[in-house]
Amino acid sequence: MGKGLQTEPLPPRSETLGDQKGFGVRTVGIWGHLAFLVWAIVLGVLAAEARLVFVLGFVVAFSALFFRGSLRPIRRLEFWVLVASAVLLSPFLIGEKDLSLFGLSLSRQGFWAGLWMALRALSIALAVGGFAYAVSVDEMARLFEMAGLKGLGFAVGVAVNMLPTLEETARNAYQAMRLRGGFRQDRLQGLRMLLVTIVVNALRRGDEVVEAAEARAFRPDGPRRESLPLGRTDLILIAVLMALGAGLLAWP
Amino acid sequence: MKTRFTTRDLVYIAVFGALWGVLEITLGSYLHLIFPPLTTPLVGVGTIMTAMGMVVALIGRLFVPKTGSVLMIGVVVAILKALSIGGVKLPAMLGIIIESLLAELGLILARRPSRGGFMLAGCLAVLWTFFHKFFASYVFLGRGIYDVYLGVLKEGSKALGIGMGYAVLIIVAFLLIRIVAGGLAGWLAWDLGRAVQARLVQAERNAE
Repeated sequence: MGKGLQTEPLPPRSETLGDQKGFGVRTVGIWGHLAFLVWAIVLGVLAAEARLVFVLGFVVAFSALFFRGSLRPIRRLEFWVLVASAVLLSPFLIGEKDLSLFGLSLSRQGFWAGLWMALRALSIALAVGGFAYAVSVDEMARLFEMAGLKGLGFAVGVAVNMLPTLEETARNAYQAMRLRGGFRQDRLQGLRMLLVTIVVNALRRGDEVVEAAEARAFRPDGPRRESLPLGRTDLILIAVLMALGAGLLAWP
Repeated sequence: MKTRFTTRDLVYIAVFGALWGVLEITLGSYLHLIFPPLTTPLVGVGTIMTAMGMVVALIGRLFVPKTGSVLMIGVVVAILKALSIGGVKLPAMLGIIIESLLAELGLILARRPSRGGFMLAGCLAVLWTFFHKFFASYVFLGRGIYDVYLGVLKEGSKALGIGMGYAVLIIVAFLLIRIVAGGLAGWLAWDLGRAVQARLVQAERNAE
């Protein structure tokens, strides 16, 4: 087992913890980011059809303005394959077939449903990615702490922060195995090794988080910390989001 | 709230919650998209995702060997699920928490960590996917349980190619598939978890 796949080198600790993502120059506070996430999810679910284009446009604009790094996934081909497959498969699976194209029976209703689904998915995925990118574990834990859920808050904070990193390490492990021909002979054995490598990498990353948390004197049963401040920028953003949301929903 | 989990326990719970969460958010959302419920009547995407999630959560139990750790992992996943594509899915979130609770019950019944205990936990958790259809339809959609039962029989008879009169056979088939999937998940979790432990021990030895 130990002679198998080597685990990849770990990135600097700050990347893992998400504590150093330009917070010194961050213009929007935690409440602003939280409001933006809630706004994107609510509008992503409630906004219908063409209005989703505006929701997505605003999410992209906000992300580009305040946390450009969170837009990295849109540079990846797999991301677009996933989005395109939703649009391309829906005409075959949803609605009555009322169109024939190159000998294929398709549904117009399915195409539009797939397109709106893809836009909805894009908006929410980018907003969640942005939130995970911009908000630190500590801030997320404090949010739950304020709701009275201390241990859970910390765990959820770490989990949300780890999502992008885990995705990346899983992809790297898969690529490393594929390049070494890990799946050529015994596919099942290769898959087992890949899963073990992913879990081992994740646990090592977890160990780093434990060290960092302990170095900062974090204790699950420690004293309550001060609440998170609500800045003027947050208030302005919340007002803008509410007005924009109401406008989009009321738009005939 | 006083917590009996240490910082390491909580981080490991987060790690396994995130691993299951990644599966739910990426693969789960994608499978739900390309396989609507009607195309997979006997083995739904929910069954597949629960079995996969159980593999992750039960491996987590090997690293956080405390009662409640699988439930905590489930709660973390449910919260992550709220952030996934498609927005807040209350039935799915509730399903994940109930499945984790049932897995926890299986582990309590087994008393000590063992392959058998993991398989029991997996079976109980995945079995819920059958009852969840009734529960969620009743609670969230207001559909009568008998209507759902008829729907299940119809789907099952179509998939198995037998008449709806063979109701017992159809229900047994539904349950058996889930028991096998859950048992397999528990078996795999034990196997993979031990392999991960062995890899970590060996890496530590090499470092020394």
